[in-house]
Amino acid sequence: MARVNLKSLRGAVVPVVLLAVLEWYARGPGKNSDALAPPTEAAASLVGAVGDGSLLQASFFTLGSAAAGLAVGFVLGVLLGTWLGLSARAGRWGFLTVEVMRPIPSVALIPLAMLVYGFGVRMEASVVAFAVFWPMLVLAQAAARQVDLRLLEVADALRLSPAARLFKIVLPAMVPRLFVALRLGVAIALVVAVTVEIAANPHGLGYAIMLAQQSLDPALMLAWLFWIAVLGYAVNAGALWVQSRVARAMGASV
Amino acid sequence: MSADPTPALQFEGVSIRLGGKEILSPTTLDIRQGEFVCIIGPSGCGKTTLLRAAAGFVQPSAGAVRRGQEIVKGPSREAAFVFQDYGRALLPWRTVAGNVSLALEAMGVPAAERPVRIDKVLQTVGLSAHADKFPLQLSGGMQQRAQIARCLAQEPSMMMMDEPFGALDAMTRESLQDELSRLVRDSGLTVLFVTHDLEEAIYLGDRVVALRSNPTPGKPSVAAVVDVNIPGPRSQLSTKEHPEYLRLRRELYHFLGHH
Amino acid sequence: MRRIHPLQWLPSLLVLAAFILLWWLASHHQWVSKVFLPTPEATWFRLLEGVASGPLTEQTLQTVGRMVQGWLLACGVGVVLGAMIGISQNARAFLQPILEFIRPLPASAIIPLAISIFGLGPNMVLFVVAFGAMWPVLLATLHGFASLEPRLHEVSSALQLSAFDFVRKVVLPSAMPDVLAGMRLSMTVSLIIAVVGEMIASQPGLGQAILLAARSFRADELFAGIVLLGVIGFVANALLGAAENWLLRWQRT
Repeated sequence: MARVNLKSLRGAVVPVVLLAVLEWYARGPGKNSDALAPPTEAAASLVGAVGDGSLLQASFFTLGSAAAGLAVGFVLGVLLGTWLGLSARAGRWGFLTVEVMRPIPSVALIPLAMLVYGFGVRMEASVVAFAVFWPMLVLAQAAARQVDLRLLEVADALRLSPAARLFKIVLPAMVPRLFVALRLGVAIALVVAVTVEIAANPHGLGYAIMLAQQSLDPALMLAWLFWIAVLGYAVNAGALWVQSRVARAMGASV
Repeated sequence: MSADPTPALQFEGVSIRLGGKEILSPTTLDIRQGEFVCIIGPSGCGKTTLLRAAAGFVQPSAGAVRRGQEIVKGPSREAAFVFQDYGRALLPWRTVAGNVSLALEAMGVPAAERPVRIDKVLQTVGLSAHADKFPLQLSGGMQQRAQIARCLAQEPSMMMMDEPFGALDAMTRESLQDELSRLVRDSGLTVLFVTHDLEEAIYLGDRVVALRSNPTPGKPSVAAVVDVNIPGPRSQLSTKEHPEYLRLRRELYHFLGHH
Repeated sequence: MRRIHPLQWLPSLLVLAAFILLWWLASHHQWVSKVFLPTPEATWFRLLEGVASGPLTEQTLQTVGRMVQGWLLACGVGVVLGAMIGISQNARAFLQPILEFIRPLPASAIIPLAISIFGLGPNMVLFVVAFGAMWPVLLATLHGFASLEPRLHEVSSALQLSAFDFVRKVVLPSAMPDVLAGMRLSMTVSLIIAVVGEMIASQPGLGQAILLAARSFRADELFAGIVLLGVIGFVANALLGAAENWLLRWQRT
């Protein structure tokens, strides 16, 4: 019994040691550093940020913008991608346009979004939407193409209308892969949202951590960094949980 | 046929327990040099584990496996192992020749000598025309031949084969059986061949060892050992109509778990 | 990739041309303000001029230079570390949890810390690019080394392969698909962080160029820069994709 518990604690050893070293260093030789602070002070700053409401506010902004952009990008990407996947002709015709637009890094659109929307939610959500749209399109197209031929033959044999075929056979067959795509989309949305805030948008978690750095407050900066990591981990873990529940419920191997 | 009296392989009361379960009950068996021994039995009787113990992949919980006179402590080049899932046992990024070469490289054969030896071994298994193909470009039968070729390149004294033809279709299986028979006869290799196919076991083997199902501690796993005394070279059509073949088949039928 | 007959590209080209035509109409008829949407020809001329006699070539080279340097650093460190951790079950047990925690962290979140250490300069950008790009290739390599087909391990011990040969001839080639995929992902991250870094640290390059263009309301320069960034992304991906296909040609049946 005790042996089992010890083994599972191995993963905690390295983080604990690193934190201890940082604590010692930041209180000793690195006392006046602008970059490092003792984890205990960072924890205090984190609690402070919770207390004065800034944590909640910044988190809501980032998560909200990310969610808004994800919603738009995911829905549009999946719809268009499904169409391109189901119709071989549409897929062929749209090929070059997708291949030309797809490689544009979403961050390249930050200045354009700034120009159009100024600062705020819409600017960030639009960049997120662009970043999410293309991978969702590609994945949905692949998922639509990979719908088991057997199922399509069943649809033909049952003489289903195109709409019924789409909603009763094709889309349900695609659902497990769409949830995998959604999980990827969630990851992209969060990363892009934070990146937009760090680069330009004076709102949200990215801005908060930049501000902490500019105020030469390393404890607060590390606190925000930790919180962003935790949030990212939690959001991704949540998406993974949803995706695996759906996969199991639908008996898919994906 | 070698006249050497020392058994090529000896199982001395070998039993194997894994995860608290008895996988193989005490097994005592001698394999002579140059013999082709087939091991049959229902699923769960431990035949694959027996083979892996002979190759040194698994250590016995009790008893010992001896090769020549030495106790088997681990895998060795002397005992080549042919896996059933040939697709996973071949290096997909190397050609057929490259896969065979791996055995030679491991043996320290200088680069200049390798092509000749690779060529020879590929000719033995009939893959000379496909030397530069990648495994994924080959059919199942050819992949299995490639694996056998690599095993032969090791210049082993013994070959362990774990249901090597189980994943192949009937026609491919039959031609590979005949090729294997011919190959083993020409080379004098000792072969330990695990199969769940009774007909294959009798067709190929000099002896057939049947293991009982449900290994229980204390009760020997070996249920029966029969010599296959069918005269003359084997042929897919005539051998299978031979009365001795049919008699053995009837005798061993129920050892496979049929009721 | 299936071989696509050249003539089959024609409808695709026509569709693309149709979108450009739409762009032309929108910009000329002011469906969208000229401040946001330059005309296609203005973008094209600005692009040509910038490359021929203007700063665009220099800026492109700066961005590409940062991207490639950071990527090479990231791949070098990432592959070595990933291999060392992936191959040792012990190392994995100790390190995998913290790696899984860092995996979802946006690389750009490191920028403030990097600014504190390096200040606002080219070293800061290089550090962040390398740091951000390291994770995809490290994690992919780790996975590749950790998920060796157990059969191949048994084959190697049956053949009595030396430990060195085992890693060199079996584990590494078997991990190649994962490593190459990780390297391709790293390149994407490198480009993104290079651009963001240039924007924040005002380093010469396309990132800074498009930011300044937007601030000065010069939409044609902005679009020219975006086009170039798209080209960089496309070329980088195409080159790595081709290299990957060639190295993994044994996968094609």
